[in-house]
Amino acid sequence: MIEAFTSGFWQVLAWPAFGYLLLGIGIGFWVGLLPGIGGLATLALMLPFSYTIKTPIEAFCFLLGMLAVTGTTGDLTSILFGIPGESSSAALILDGYPMSKKGEAGRALGAAIMSSLIGATIGALTLAISIPIMRPLVLLFGSPELFIITIMGITFIGTLAGASLIKGLLAGGIGLMLAAIGVDPQTGSLRYTFGSLYLWDGLDVTPVVVGMFAIPEIIDLAVRGTAISQAPKEKLKGVMEGVKDTFRHFWLVVRCSLIGVYFGVLPVLGANVAQWIAYGHAARSLKDKSRAGKGAVEGVLGPGAANNSTRGGDLIPTIAFGIPGSASMALLLGALLIVGLQPGPEMLKSRLDVTFAMVWILIISNIIVAGISFLILNHLAALTFIRGSLLIPFLLVLVFIGSFTANNSIYDLVVTLIFGTLGYLMLLNGWPRPPLVLGLILGKIGENYLWISTAAYGAKWLAFPSVLILIAITISIVAYPTIKERRGRAKYDRPEDAV
Amino acid sequence: MNAIPLCKRLLPLVCSALSFALLSWPNATAAQDSFYKGRTIRIVVGLSTGGGYDRAARLLARYMGKYIPGNPDIIVQNMPGAGSVVAANYVFSVAKPDGLTLLMPHNNVYLSQLSGDKEVKFDLLKMYWIGSLDKDDMMLFIRSDAPHKTMKDVVQAKEPPKCGTTGVGGSDYVVSRILEETTGAKINTVVGYPGSSEIAIAVERGEVQCQGLTIQTFFGREPFLSWVKTNFVRFLAQTGRKRDPRVNGPTIFELMDEYKTPTTKRRLAEAMLSGGEWARPMLVGPGTPQERVQILRDAYDKTSKDPELLAEAKKLRMDVQAGKGAELQAMAKDAMNQPPEVIEQIKKLFVQQ
Repeated sequence: MIEAFTSGFWQVLAWPAFGYLLLGIGIGFWVGLLPGIGGLATLALMLPFSYTIKTPIEAFCFLLGMLAVTGTTGDLTSILFGIPGESSSAALILDGYPMSKKGEAGRALGAAIMSSLIGATIGALTLAISIPIMRPLVLLFGSPELFIITIMGITFIGTLAGASLIKGLLAGGIGLMLAAIGVDPQTGSLRYTFGSLYLWDGLDVTPVVVGMFAIPEIIDLAVRGTAISQAPKEKLKGVMEGVKDTFRHFWLVVRCSLIGVYFGVLPVLGANVAQWIAYGHAARSLKDKSRAGKGAVEGVLGPGAANNSTRGGDLIPTIAFGIPGSASMALLLGALLIVGLQPGPEMLKSRLDVTFAMVWILIISNIIVAGISFLILNHLAALTFIRGSLLIPFLLVLVFIGSFTANNSIYDLVVTLIFGTLGYLMLLNGWPRPPLVLGLILGKIGENYLWISTAAYGAKWLAFPSVLILIAITISIVAYPTIKERRGRAKYDRPEDAV
Repeated sequence: MNAIPLCKRLLPLVCSALSFALLSWPNATAAQDSFYKGRTIRIVVGLSTGGGYDRAARLLARYMGKYIPGNPDIIVQNMPGAGSVVAANYVFSVAKPDGLTLLMPHNNVYLSQLSGDKEVKFDLLKMYWIGSLDKDDMMLFIRSDAPHKTMKDVVQAKEPPKCGTTGVGGSDYVVSRILEETTGAKINTVVGYPGSSEIAIAVERGEVQCQGLTIQTFFGREPFLSWVKTNFVRFLAQTGRKRDPRVNGPTIFELMDEYKTPTTKRRLAEAMLSGGEWARPMLVGPGTPQERVQILRDAYDKTSKDPELLAEAKKLRMDVQAGKGAELQAMAKDAMNQPPEVIEQIKKLFVQQ
């Protein structure tokens, strides 16, 4: 095992593998920065080029290296402009963009890069450690458990500190209703499609997220008529400050990384969900809850770590069963087959070094991209000091290209505009937007797993011990902040405490 | 006096005219050669990036150009939505029928047309079928430790087996519903899994016992390969006309004989399974010039025999059992020519209201 571990390392660093890694990183860097071009689509485009590469490790240096860095550089766009660079980077907008507005873009970028690096490393190491216990880990959760987890996720985000509990849960409920749009998989009937073919497949998350988060910020930028940063330039806090922040909140970063790994292992969930849960966790951990959404660095560190660590978790079912945990993993699986490897129990025995090489690729590529990023971060941060009127046309182009690539349909733009307006209204009236987005993402998944659980087990699944435990956790998520608040108030009710 | 200069002036013209006539005479495609030369063909795939259809389209795109006179570039465009209805509508009525836009829809898109879906704005029988890359014969397997050992057990069972499926209209769903219709068996179809991989995990956990899957996928991938070795599952039925030697179980056609399925249900099964004959199909819009249709059909045929393509497909564990355009056209016509009572049945099984 140790031998395979070191052999994997040296094979990644050997020429030409390392060259392929650099090439992959170079492509992934730009793909991540630009909204709309996602890691998945790029992987599909680049896959044929990897066919000419002879050894599996070299091919993986190229493909996995590329995929690994998109999560990191996607965060940068979210922080700088309030537009998600990747769909898995949207949660960084919540606190990252306000930091840019406060003139702390450099600090936010530093924190995002460093937490991404730690997240990726933890994800990769979990992958390495969990090799012997992969199968039970994947088999642990069935449909009933997955259903409760989706409900837990929405509850968790809906009850975030700062926003009103009712508004949060209602926003989550609206998200669930929006998820009902489209062909119902159980009966095949059409729901809320209003005779439009576009709505058959339901609302795509990308145009909704881009609209809800980017459009209100662009309106705001136009109304203010200043640069993104409202603080004068000399107050630009350095990138190193963000790096230090990562270590000040080290255990938060570790916990959020583990959240990411876990959601990567679970089928269907993955980085798009993990980022929000990690954000929720980070926001809850704030001592002063009112800082959430106003540029708290913790809100950058949490999702920054989680969306990178999911890559390691994602690889676990792919390697253990040969069952891809996500669409991008399905493509990587294809690449493995091309080079003559069949992922699954057999490969773990015969080519363990390939698995460990993947671990090393995840770590090394993130170290390299962090290094490159640190060289240019201060220049990127300077973009937030450019006059808004010069930036807005450029940002609008990015927003609409980003949405359009979801389905290559003109209706993607309509959805963006509708949800842009909705997002702006929600922002004005103090309604939280993350529960709505998470409700939309989880709604369809939750509905399906509810149906499956009922069809497979009748009502019996409600009494499964694992389900009962998860329900108890969900209730405590709602109850805990309320109880804590009451207790806090009760304390001050006694005059002697108030002194 | 001007005769000589005139001759000189005319000579190149005459020469070129002559050479043109000479060159083009034995080779009727020279005009088409100039048509495809320097142009770009677009394959509109009705499914999203990264899936089996997308990969097949990209594989074809890399090799097909060299078999088309003029060696055009070929690009792939994904237009997912509504089970390929969006893409088929687009190629049928929006794209110019100039032989530059090819459609690769899901093989079951014909069922949307057959069931009289009002969103369908295309007619597959008016389009020209260029070819298909594979046959998608399916099978139904069940865990060996389940009490149902054969279809007979399923028919007689008090408690029906639970089969995981992706959704109404999915091929896995269609297979178990057809088995129910033709043999009178009862199968508890558990609907809503995101994909065949997730169903496989559910089978392994024991959440469901059975699953319908294409034979090719089963013998090409984990965890199924391990299952074969450990005899984890057994086969209940398969959908091909002839038995696949790897699958130890009867075909639906054998079962229909055994259970004396009435004619209407038989026609229903045949109609709904014929999509398996043309997996990864390729079509062009109505009104495409005949000679270009011919060029594309020939090119498709040659591409599907290209040794490099076959080697690559083998590595990708993609089977290639190509279908010829003209034959597919006839097959589609047969499959879609159904009496109203069969169409009523199809609507019942493949409903999207």
